[in-house]
Amino acid sequence: MTSSLAPNNASVFLVDDDLAVRRGVAALLAAADYAVVSFESAEAFLLDLPELELDNAAMLVDVCMPGIQGLELQEQLKAQGVALPVIVMTAHGDVAMAVRAMRSGAVDFLEKPFTADEVSSALTRAFSAELPAAEPNESLASDLRTRFEALTPRETEVYGEIVAGATSKEIARALEISPRTVEVHRQNLMTKMEAGSIAELVRMAVALGICD
Amino acid sequence: MTKIDRSLLEDILETIDAPVVILATDGGILRFNKACERLTGYSAGEVVGRKVWDFLILDEEIGAVRSVFEQTRGDDTPTHFVNYWKTKNGGRRLIEWSNKKVEATKVYQACIIATGKDITEARSQEKALSESKAFLRSIVDASPVAIITTKDTGEILTFSRQAELSFGYDWAEVIGNNVRMLMPAYEQSRHDGFIERYLESGEGHIIGKARPVTALRRDGEEMPVILHVSEFQDDQRIFVAFIEDVTEQRKTERRLAETRDQLQHVGRLGAMGEIASSIAHELNQPLTAAASLVGAVSLTLKKADRETNRETAQLLDDAVDEIRRASEIIRNMREFVRKRKTARSLYDVNKVVEDACKVALIGADADGVCVTTDFSPKAGEMLLDRIQIQQVVTNLVRNAVDAMKETPQRELRISTARQNGYVEVRVEDTGDGISEEIEKHLFQPFVTSKEDGTGIGLSISKSIIDAHQGEIFGANKDSTGCVFAFRLPVSKNDLIPGP
Ligand SMILES: Nc1ncnc2c1ncn2[C@@H]1O[C@H](COP(=O)(O)OP(=O)(O)OP(=O)(O)O)[C@@H](O)[C@H]1O
Repeated sequence: MTSSLAPNNASVFLVDDDLAVRRGVAALLAAADYAVVSFESAEAFLLDLPELELDNAAMLVDVCMPGIQGLELQEQLKAQGVALPVIVMTAHGDVAMAVRAMRSGAVDFLEKPFTADEVSSALTRAFSAELPAAEPNESLASDLRTRFEALTPRETEVYGEIVAGATSKEIARALEISPRTVEVHRQNLMTKMEAGSIAELVRMAVALGICD
Repeated sequence: MTKIDRSLLEDILETIDAPVVILATDGGILRFNKACERLTGYSAGEVVGRKVWDFLILDEEIGAVRSVFEQTRGDDTPTHFVNYWKTKNGGRRLIEWSNKKVEATKVYQACIIATGKDITEARSQEKALSESKAFLRSIVDASPVAIITTKDTGEILTFSRQAELSFGYDWAEVIGNNVRMLMPAYEQSRHDGFIERYLESGEGHIIGKARPVTALRRDGEEMPVILHVSEFQDDQRIFVAFIEDVTEQRKTERRLAETRDQLQHVGRLGAMGEIASSIAHELNQPLTAAASLVGAVSLTLKKADRETNRETAQLLDDAVDEIRRASEIIRNMREFVRKRKTARSLYDVNKVVEDACKVALIGADADGVCVTTDFSPKAGEMLLDRIQIQQVVTNLVRNAVDAMKETPQRELRISTARQNGYVEVRVEDTGDGISEEIEKHLFQPFVTSKEDGTGIGLSISKSIIDAHQGEIFGANKDSTGCVFAFRLPVSKNDLIPGP
């Protein structure tokens, strides 16, 4: 499956406090042909940072770690002007945390545990992404808004629940419809928004300013 | 009449124990025997010639005494009358008189002979008896417990005031009837059995023991009562039944039991959610590692691109899906509490807190704890999930009681207040206080200083208060013990009587 494979020489900095996770994810990334460097903490990463080759690299970081947490690390890198695409990993399926990460510039988030496909497509996006650049793209923004306004009220509701971190089941309960119907709304919503993943939906929501 | 006869009569008159007085037809005293002297303290010499009503009769009885006298004088039939005599030293004696007129003879003028019997003592005893009966009656009627006496046949002899209130019968309707009328059919046969057994063997299954039974009211309603039967022997065997209507008590008990059940249920769910949430991260890490490892193998196989490899890779992908499913289950458990649609309605804050306290204080541990409550009427009503908030209150109260197990001073104070847009509930104790190492992690799960504690109570409480957009905090007091409190914001949607 070529889509799972890395662009040439692409490397990933993996930051997670759990040894088994580092080993597993590193194996997965290596199988997908990424060069992987693992760190057991944000502190360890920052220590090595001056010697790291940041070109053609991305960072995969757990949001919940002892010491400096994922979000803080991300803030610090941003403050230091380090241009490194960041993907956060959330262990709790905590989309709210992911939304925060993305608002402060993370390109994507992954819910643990994830499949090879999910991590590959997230990384592919990270490498092709325009890094949190200077001006927001005016035409893209108005384009997004047009798409958003084309949603039905129900789809808008479902969208709101998704970016608030609710699962399909919870959305179903909250809106008093069946989980099946929620799935349908979600599909339509993603098609209309031209979003390839929940992460992308969240990213758009951040851009649209519809989540806080 | 012969001379002997006369002296014999004189002797009788003077030795007889009964007072005898002989009056002239105008009421003047002719004879005043020894018994009269003893009775009044007057000597015969002092009184002969004086009229009885001039000094012996009470003012209020003079009229009656004179009219009896007139009647006796004008008639041959003897008369009877009870009246007082005043004694010389100011006392009084009650005397029952028999009066008879004696016609004049050649020797005697006509006169009236009055023979008396001193009934002062007898009467006062009688009076005391009837007074004590009335006294008893008023006690029986004042009793908040219904009291019914019956013969051993079951025939109702008395029916107290409270019995009338409890059963809805007027006493006149039940006296003489069988007590069975006060029981539903299924209790009647049981009752008969008990009585029979008791009368036969003297074995007191029902005597002397309080037991819960069902009684029947006049309107056909059954009522739960506590029955206590005693027995005493008068000239016949009498049963006294003390019957306490516990309908209200049962209702309260039931309400509290329901609340307790609900609290336990929510408590279990909360505990599950809390456990899930704290192991979610722990468990998710190895799951992630496993999924990634399997994913890596799958990817490697796919790259080699052989047909069999592809099939194997598919199996591995399925394995990853299963791992993810396991992760999802934990996540759902956790979300269950956090995102549970709370059943919020408008509740009276004080009532909610009060019920929860009652439930929390059931049990031996709370014995000897002096509980004060200070519920501000300003607390009013607000939108909340009753069961969840009660869960929090129960946790705080139980913790407070636990903390005071070993302390000599055991005071628990529970109060509510409303200020600046929030309602506050405080639970204060005089216990050991929060230890230093616990304090740092107070609201985190699995933090406990108790041997059998799970350390979940406070973390659940915090989740619940968070879900209500409130705050919860706990701290040691300057004096002994600590205070835990939570605040709930009062939204404008809540209808609250303004302070
Ligand atoms: N009123 C209090 N006074 C002193 N310490 C307290 C008080 N309330 C709580 N604590 C401390 O906080 C700890 C955690 O309390 P929490 O309610 O979470 O669990 P627990 O009571 O220990 O266990 P469980 O919930 O199974 O009863 C307690 O073990 C105790 O050390």
